Amino acid sequence: MALVKIDNVSFTYPNETSPVLKNIHVTIQQGEFIVLIGQSGCGKSTLLRHFKRELQPHGEMAGQIFYKGCDLQQLNAEVAAADIGYVFQNPDNQIVTDKVWHELAFGLESLGLDSVTIRRRVAEMANFFGIQKWFHQKTTALSGGQKQLLNLASIMVMQPKLLLLDEPTSQLDPIAALEFIQTLHRLNKELGITIILIEHRLEEVLPLADRVLIMDSGEILFDGLPRDILMTLPKEHAMITALPAATKIFHRLNGVGSIPLTIREGQRWLHNQQVTPADMSPTISYNDTAIAVEAKDVAFRYEKNGQDIVYHFNLQVKEQEFLTIIGGNGTGKSTVLAILAGLQKPYRGKVTLFNKALKSYSNKQLYQQFLTLLPQDPKTLFVQKTVRQELEDMARLHKVTEANMQKTIQLFHLTHLLNRHPYDLSGGEQQKLALAKLLLIEPKILLLDEPTKGLDAHAKEELAEILKDLQAKGMTIIMVTHDIEFSAQYSSRCALFFDGSIVSEDEPRAFYSGNNFYTTAAHRISRELLSNAITCEDVVTLCQKTFV
Amino acid sequence: MSKNIRLMISIIVIVVLMPLTLYAGITLFADRKYYFISIVIIILACVPFFLSFERRKPQPREILVIAVMAAISVAGRALFVITPGFKPVAAITAITGFSLGAEAGFLTGALSALVSNMFFGQGPWTPFQMFMWGMIGFIAGLLGKTGLMHKKIPLILFGIFAGVFFSFGMDIWGTISMYGVFSWQAYTLALTSAVPFMMVYAVSNVIFLLLLEKPIREKLERIKNKYGILQ
Amino acid sequence: MKAFETFHPIVLFAFFVAAVGLSMFFMHPVYLAITIFSAISLNIALRRQLFFKDWKLYVPLFFLMAIINPLISHNGQLVLLYINGNALTVEAIMYGLAIATMIVAVMLWFSCYNVVMTSDKFIYLFGKVSPALSLTLSISLRLVPRFRHQLTQIIQAQKVIGMDYTAGSLWHRIKCIVRILSILITWALENAIDTADSMKARGYGVKKRTAFSLFIFERRDGIALTIIMLLFVTNLAASFLGTTTFYFYPTFGTIKWDIGSLLFYSSYFLLLSIPLAIEIREAFKWRSLKSTM
Repeated sequence: MALVKIDNVSFTYPNETSPVLKNIHVTIQQGEFIVLIGQSGCGKSTLLRHFKRELQPHGEMAGQIFYKGCDLQQLNAEVAAADIGYVFQNPDNQIVTDKVWHELAFGLESLGLDSVTIRRRVAEMANFFGIQKWFHQKTTALSGGQKQLLNLASIMVMQPKLLLLDEPTSQLDPIAALEFIQTLHRLNKELGITIILIEHRLEEVLPLADRVLIMDSGEILFDGLPRDILMTLPKEHAMITALPAATKIFHRLNGVGSIPLTIREGQRWLHNQQVTPADMSPTISYNDTAIAVEAKDVAFRYEKNGQDIVYHFNLQVKEQEFLTIIGGNGTGKSTVLAILAGLQKPYRGKVTLFNKALKSYSNKQLYQQFLTLLPQDPKTLFVQKTVRQELEDMARLHKVTEANMQKTIQLFHLTHLLNRHPYDLSGGEQQKLALAKLLLIEPKILLLDEPTKGLDAHAKEELAEILKDLQAKGMTIIMVTHDIEFSAQYSSRCALFFDGSIVSEDEPRAFYSGNNFYTTAAHRISRELLSNAITCEDVVTLCQKTFV
Repeated sequence: MSKNIRLMISIIVIVVLMPLTLYAGITLFADRKYYFISIVIIILACVPFFLSFERRKPQPREILVIAVMAAISVAGRALFVITPGFKPVAAITAITGFSLGAEAGFLTGALSALVSNMFFGQGPWTPFQMFMWGMIGFIAGLLGKTGLMHKKIPLILFGIFAGVFFSFGMDIWGTISMYGVFSWQAYTLALTSAVPFMMVYAVSNVIFLLLLEKPIREKLERIKNKYGILQ
Repeated sequence: MKAFETFHPIVLFAFFVAAVGLSMFFMHPVYLAITIFSAISLNIALRRQLFFKDWKLYVPLFFLMAIINPLISHNGQLVLLYINGNALTVEAIMYGLAIATMIVAVMLWFSCYNVVMTSDKFIYLFGKVSPALSLTLSISLRLVPRFRHQLTQIIQAQKVIGMDYTAGSLWHRIKCIVRILSILITWALENAIDTADSMKARGYGVKKRTAFSLFIFERRDGIALTIIMLLFVTNLAASFLGTTTFYFYPTFGTIKWDIGSLLFYSSYFLLLSIPLAIEIREAFKWRSLKSTM
């Protein structure tokens, strides 16, 4: 018997005319690892919530859902709560209590279990997840990755049969994300837990999946093995860009045979093609333009007796450059941006802006004419009830003309969103709105703090286009990010931040082909044959040359 | 229906039972233990609110809204470290009361005091603070029913009232009951020393009520409409 | 970790209720001396540095409290002098000092309470009385640091768009503060929906909740609790028998030194020195453990 059977389910939100889900049929077998993908707004989250009775959205539903042959609506409340677990996107939001041990026990307390049972189950899970070390800590003291593992563990104590996860790694850094995904893999392999996962990181997730579901405007477009995606999907479908690098290269070069998913498979496949070694020319550099921002021997710490977060920090950014600073989590990259933006004052060293000390600018001058900073959380900028009011609010503060505002709305494709509440937008749309709001004042320098966090492939592309456009118009862009692929593909210079300072910097092709581990998937696939191809695009271009 | 009964019980406790116990307490221990008695009574006075919340089996979203509003009151104090007494706590509590009713108002106020003292240190003032802020939320909840509480003048009047009321409980009743001296001189001294605080409370209440009432009401409305919570 | 705080929360709470409650109730000079002495000793044991910092606060507070009473109270027979026709009496001064001692002692007990009764212990005890509210409290406690963090993010972001609450006219600052609070509230309420969903998803409200805790009631907790209860009852008895009563007005009563009174005084001292005794015993135990190692 199937674990879950979704039988002809359609769903429409209140006050909406068109349904989000249209006649969905899916059967889930016990022990499957299923990845559910699709562009934002395709209805994948809505579908996932239908598997969990307590979270089914309000609206009009047709069709039936069966869990182990029993109608989900009729299922016993305790079984429904315990058997089906749900992990949300934001690790912070789902933590309820203030202590790790209490959080682990929360679900079991709700089911009314006695202390002895709870103690045992909590101990078991703490061991499985390696939580012993932070068992007594406050939940606020944990890192993002730890928080998400805690969320998973506090569901696992309830001994679920089915785990549902809605983009659980989107707020995590790459290392924590990988650890989380590996834990999921372990749960599936070692305990046989059935998993349905919505995820953007297909590079890591697709090779683990037994089955992939692709949704498109409320329908299931594809339901099958990961390796069969290319055969079914229309050649130009938007989801292609989200696929792993190996698959994309294979696809673009019209490969035949078994479709590669992992780096290793990609390498193997590429070796079997007759590729002659070749180089790409370096990315355009901006050596001739004037210096926009310069930091000399900057040192900074938060407290007098604290540790230096930034020290021996030197950086030169030329006008019209697009610099990405990459580096590990919590190393102080965001602090660097705050220093460059004049929000934090270094205790030693000097920051200059257009050859004038940053200190000598008044805040008004600085933030109205010269620079702006896109914060990591765009929501810290939203005050109003609609997108239009958000922009008008900023326009009023800085006396921006109506014409300029209209221009920005066009540039950022916000016209169809003007009457929406900022919190009802998708992550990508929120990012665009925040950026649009900040750019109304037309600064010369744009600082961005992890703008690609939580964005899907499509939203990233859209952001990149906007940034490219701004750069072409003369803006200098400095971006801090974990996103190696984005950095390689779009920036004009890359820098590695480690232990308080910049340890290496170069134009992207030289930078990423010089790194062995900290480099793009495309480079890892092609390194043996092509010396400096760092994006799928590069690999495809060079290969096509040799094929001809 | 049961909700009205609960309200009645709460009112009876506050209006009848509490002064009665106070009177009994004073006559029983004629030895100036007013401060001690006040604390005991105030703790007792909070009990019916807590019990009715418990009996009702509150929904997660109700619990969350109360916890959030209380935490905001406390976290918001970080913005006002320089100006003592200039706090948004009473205003945020009152606005919660206007929108969500007397019980939610009381709990938000009482919880704000409790949580705040968990960060800044508990003391004998904790029960007083819990009760005074709780009552501000409670009264706000009752007034919210009139539908007048988003107009300017009622808000200003309520802000002043809440400031005076709070100061009365914390500063005046606090000092007088501690010394146990009931003379005009004592009242005058307590009053004059409390007046500056009273003014700061009243002014900050009025400012925050006027500026925050609309945004918070709209945000709570949005949550209510979008996710269908709270009644 | 200190020894006293490892006892079961119910023991700790019972002790502080007894200590604070009785300290507020007894105005007898001997009792005041005992409570202030015990409170100071425990402060030194539990929070050495912090306590020495606190003195700057407590000493002026003590004198301020002591001065107020003779200003508002003119009872008493031992008149020192008349100010504006009002008597300044020795009784009023002494009563002022007594009140001040009592208040400082209570504050000192509370500062120990704040060290020993951490939030999780309080939540646990409160949960026994009111589970839903205790959960609300726990959630709120978790949210405060989170909101503070978000607040600093919002403050920075707003500074960049010219809404700096630390600069400009008063009106501008207030506007900025309201704006910052407003952003925080929207953010908090929208995120809270997820938290509520996460509670529901984990079966909240399905059955009557049990309260799990890491606290275990050991034999030594039972012993300590019994001792606290017995001594507390003894002191209540002393209060009913009048041993703890002392009059300041119309003039001072007498302090009794008979055997019965001395026994009652000692029971008060024993009660209040329980935590200190536990700390000292533990210190000796560790010393002997170390020497045998």
